[in-house]
Amino acid sequence: MHAARQIGGPLLQVENISLSFGGVRALANISFEIREHEVLAIIGPNGAGKSSMLNVINGFYHPQEGRITYKGKTRARMRPHQAAAQGIARTFQNIALFKGMSTLDNIMTGRLLKMRQPFFMQALYLGPAKREELEHRAFCERIIDFLEIQAIRKTPVGRLPYGLQKRVELARALAAEPELLLLDEPMAGMNVEEKEDMCRFVLDVNEHFGTTIALIEHDMGVVMDISDRVVVLDYGRKLADGTPDEVRADQAVIDAYLGVSHEETASAAAE
Amino acid sequence: MSAFFIDPFVDIFSYPAFFLEVLIGGLLAGVMYSLVALGFVLIFKASGVFNFAQGAMVLFAALTLVGLIDLGAPVWLAIVATIAVMVTLAMSIEKVVLRPLVNQPAIILFMATIGISYFLDGFGQTIWGSEIKTLEVGIPKSPLMVGEVLISRFDLFAGLTAGVLVAVLAIFFQKTRVGRALRAVADDHQAAMSVGIPLRTIWVIVWSVAGIVALVAGIMWGSKLGVQFSIVLVALKALPVLILGGFTSIPGAIVGGLIIGSGEKVAEVFWGPALGGAIEDWFGYMLAMLFLLFRPQGLFGEKIIERV
Amino acid sequence: MGDAATAPDTRLLDTFSKLLRHHAEHRGDRIAMREKDLGIWQSWTWAEVAGQVRDLACGLAALGLKRGDRLAVIGDNRPRLYWSICAAQALGAVPVPLYQDAAAEEMAFVLEHAEARIAIAEDQEQVDKLLQIKPDNKALEQIVFDDPRGLRNYRHAFLHDYESILAKGRDYAAANPGFYDAEVARTKGADVSTMLYTSGTTGRPKGVMLSYDNVLITARNALQREGLTADEDTLAYLPMAWVGDHIFSYGQALVSGFTVNCPESSATVLTDLRELGPTYFFAPPRIYESILTTVMIRMEDAGWLKRRMFHYFMDIARRCGTRILDGKPVSLADRLLYRVGALLVYQPLKNTLGFSRIRLAYTAGEAIGPDLFDFYRAIGVNVKQLYGMTEASVFVTIQPDGEVRADTVGTPAPEVEIKIEPSGEVLFRGPGVFQEYYKNPEATAEAKTAEGWVHTGDAGFFDADGHLRIIDRAKDVGKLADGSMFAPKYLENKLKFFPFIKEAVAFGDGRAHVGAFINIDLEAVGNWAERRNLPYGGYADLASREEVYDLIQENVEQVNRDLAGDSHLSGSQIRRFLVLYKELDADDGELTRTRKVRRNFVAERYGTLIEALYSDATTVPVETEIRFEDGRTGTFRAELRIRDVKTYPPAAPAAQAAA
Repeated sequence: MHAARQIGGPLLQVENISLSFGGVRALANISFEIREHEVLAIIGPNGAGKSSMLNVINGFYHPQEGRITYKGKTRARMRPHQAAAQGIARTFQNIALFKGMSTLDNIMTGRLLKMRQPFFMQALYLGPAKREELEHRAFCERIIDFLEIQAIRKTPVGRLPYGLQKRVELARALAAEPELLLLDEPMAGMNVEEKEDMCRFVLDVNEHFGTTIALIEHDMGVVMDISDRVVVLDYGRKLADGTPDEVRADQAVIDAYLGVSHEETASAAAE
Repeated sequence: MSAFFIDPFVDIFSYPAFFLEVLIGGLLAGVMYSLVALGFVLIFKASGVFNFAQGAMVLFAALTLVGLIDLGAPVWLAIVATIAVMVTLAMSIEKVVLRPLVNQPAIILFMATIGISYFLDGFGQTIWGSEIKTLEVGIPKSPLMVGEVLISRFDLFAGLTAGVLVAVLAIFFQKTRVGRALRAVADDHQAAMSVGIPLRTIWVIVWSVAGIVALVAGIMWGSKLGVQFSIVLVALKALPVLILGGFTSIPGAIVGGLIIGSGEKVAEVFWGPALGGAIEDWFGYMLAMLFLLFRPQGLFGEKIIERV
Repeated sequence: MGDAATAPDTRLLDTFSKLLRHHAEHRGDRIAMREKDLGIWQSWTWAEVAGQVRDLACGLAALGLKRGDRLAVIGDNRPRLYWSICAAQALGAVPVPLYQDAAAEEMAFVLEHAEARIAIAEDQEQVDKLLQIKPDNKALEQIVFDDPRGLRNYRHAFLHDYESILAKGRDYAAANPGFYDAEVARTKGADVSTMLYTSGTTGRPKGVMLSYDNVLITARNALQREGLTADEDTLAYLPMAWVGDHIFSYGQALVSGFTVNCPESSATVLTDLRELGPTYFFAPPRIYESILTTVMIRMEDAGWLKRRMFHYFMDIARRCGTRILDGKPVSLADRLLYRVGALLVYQPLKNTLGFSRIRLAYTAGEAIGPDLFDFYRAIGVNVKQLYGMTEASVFVTIQPDGEVRADTVGTPAPEVEIKIEPSGEVLFRGPGVFQEYYKNPEATAEAKTAEGWVHTGDAGFFDADGHLRIIDRAKDVGKLADGSMFAPKYLENKLKFFPFIKEAVAFGDGRAHVGAFINIDLEAVGNWAERRNLPYGGYADLASREEVYDLIQENVEQVNRDLAGDSHLSGSQIRRFLVLYKELDADDGELTRTRKVRRNFVAERYGTLIEALYSDATTVPVETEIRFEDGRTGTFRAELRIRDVKTYPPAAPAAQAAA
């Protein structure tokens, strides 16, 4: 299926990450890597620490222990906007869009980091600034076309149905031309048709732009279909990591998914 | 009854030039209210914080400017230096107040701005003294006759300044990437950070802009009334302006100011005798109260629909 | 403007490839096509289109397309797909546009039947269907796609990018100078120009073969009758496989040289319509209805003043708007009020609807509700009905300007003759009559007589003004016991135009009089009930209310009043009706998936109710098993009321008008 796409070396390595909130441990000694151009799924029961993991990579949380290496460089403690500047874009489980703005304006905010003209030039909308604005607009239009959201270009996103909001959020993340795209439950709350569309978009993005994608997802069918590798978290620990087939056959994973003995404690503990 | 319902109208129609004069005077005075309201709107738009300290910032800016001029600085240098002071103030507020209070409810931040307000009042007067000072930055004060209508050159100048300021702010908000980022932050902090907008920088920018707007208002009010503590009270007039115009609308701040300014002047001159005068002091608040009853989001504000 | 001088002579330029060359030579810099892409209307001049078609034709020739071959064209309304049609025709091949939303199995039949050797597909979705079909299809050799998105990893030797075919075409043209012009010169009017598959209600689709003469002459005649020029703008948004789009967006565009505009996507049609403001437009009634609904909803949200103004001026428009549009006398006061209304309401409204520049808007396909029809005409949008079919190259009848009514479809199109069989069936003959059904001589013989008359399958009659009225499918038309005509669908449509009536089934064939089942519209009647503080518990309860029966009775009597004035149908007045205790449902087999009543099934299932309808009983006991939403079943027992309705003596049309 992904014949043309070459999965490369590690883009981001997570080593021995531990994260606690107060006394509650959300992540314990987690290590894995995200390889260039792959689709990596992070799965696990509720409260397994998946979102915490994404928030660590994205710079929202700062782990107490461990090391993150991104593009070969060990990353110092960083803030989300710095992560964004280095090519990490993301979407949120609960959708974080600018509700009062139109779809197009939301996507344009994804281009903010790419704008170079000094702002008095933008204010006067002169020559180079005007050209820059048009270039960014054209780029956003390509994404709108790619994600097939032409019909809602001018609609304030607060008025859109949930499934479309998720798509706009993906569009805004893509507008930043990220190298690493983090998707937090991109298909949660969608119907079957919307899920199929979203799967197609995720794969198309990966194939078309070569974007590395790490996603959290609950729907096992989806995960097994679209990901190259899977990392399984449970109760803040890593249970397994490997290809979908390897993970499916892993005894620890089977136990965690069938035996629900500690799920309540887990959800109480993390996030 | 006729004193209230008939005589004022008779007066208005008998002396149209005089009415026009009162009206224009009121409109231009309203512009001055708008200047203060503008500072509130800026900060409220970008951070959802009702900045109680806006009045104090006006006084502080005016005090600083007068102080520097009294020390012998040329007017232009004093203005530049005051701008620098206001930007420094913004940075300090971000570092000392906003950053530690991030993600706190709006009411906590509001209370923090009350604190800032007291601090600025005290700090300003400690450094620059509390006596009334005259501010002279070369704004013409002689009146202008247009036909039979008398117009204050000073008010006209204030009106023009406010107009230019609003135009600049509108362009800044609508066209520049900083403006875009500001709107994004106002809408959703988390999303803004994830697209790479540095929240702290944005806050500093907003408070700096509000500080500069406060300086402009301070220059105007200070030149008119002299620089004194009562400027802070003038800032209270901005409250009905905000209620009229809506807390999030820049045009609303302008139109609200014009309505209140002209309304209270016309009411004072023509209805004042019937009601025993001093209408000017409460007219704006009464209008605001009516608005709160019938159109709480203001003329231009966004309708807030609570979703359940 | 001055286009009469340059309007091409279709007697000399008798094929589309010749017409295209004519436009490129005489008005090459005018806009032939626009498409909204990446948020902008991109445009192509006639000269550019001619160049593209030439390259594409040569490329297709290089790919092996020959005279007489079929080329399948599958996708939304895209400029490149229209050019593919023209390119195939330039080579003497026959383009076969397919319905883009058809499932692979449906598509497989048409591709197999048409023996298309090459298919041009819009995108991955269509290519995937073709790849699924191809292994079982012996004829299909090559596939060309327009949009490469998602296809970069498809490694089939028979799969080609549109761009690569153009490049191939340029090489081919260089190697074979004069090839294209010679091919175009060989095309002639009597050749088959296109094959359009009709999705008949029964049986397999049939391939309707139309010659250039069929399409060109019909297109030209209609343009002349309507006075359309090369300055029109039209929106191409209905399926390319449908004859209407083929005539409006292709045939007529090439004959007159007007501009065809393709929307950005099927989801943006209404936005694009508003932006573009076409001058010439076609839509089935449901589109007019959904455009209107969006406006009415926005109007309900509008401020008090705006709403009052809207309703006040709409009343004026309803009173005199259609008369003004038809050029009939109107009092000076009304004329002035209408002017004011135009300024304040109608023009802004037309602007938001996308009809600010409209000169001619057609509707066809199904009966249009009089209220809907009158709304558009009242605000000055010249909506007209036409009656047509694939076998006629669309136009059979058109409503002439100034003689537009909701219940007729107008007078015969130029050069078209119409006759009515004793059975009531409408037959026509004219320049647009199709050649034959592809590989189906039996069906051809059934549909077309030796003298060239085509059976429409519709029953109708000419009214006193010489306008054709279509009342029903011929096979559904029956006779009452006294021998007068009974057209159930006509009655049902009349009933359904009332907002409170959702569905209706009329009975009467072989009976002494007409009786009807009614389904109320739960939402409309429910709102009505709430406004009158009438509590009810669900559909069955509401449907059994005395008050609801009164409401429906008024509607039925209104229908009877209308019928009384109709010389052909005055005998079909409804004597008795009942309101069904459940909604007719496709899940229960009572409706088709397209929401058409399955008459025989309903008659069988509700036999006892029909018997009661034709007895003297005023109630009928019902006991039936019903299925709930969650799948459980239960028994429903009730006494169903039957109402007698007033009928009216047949009146002469003149007397009716005076009343």
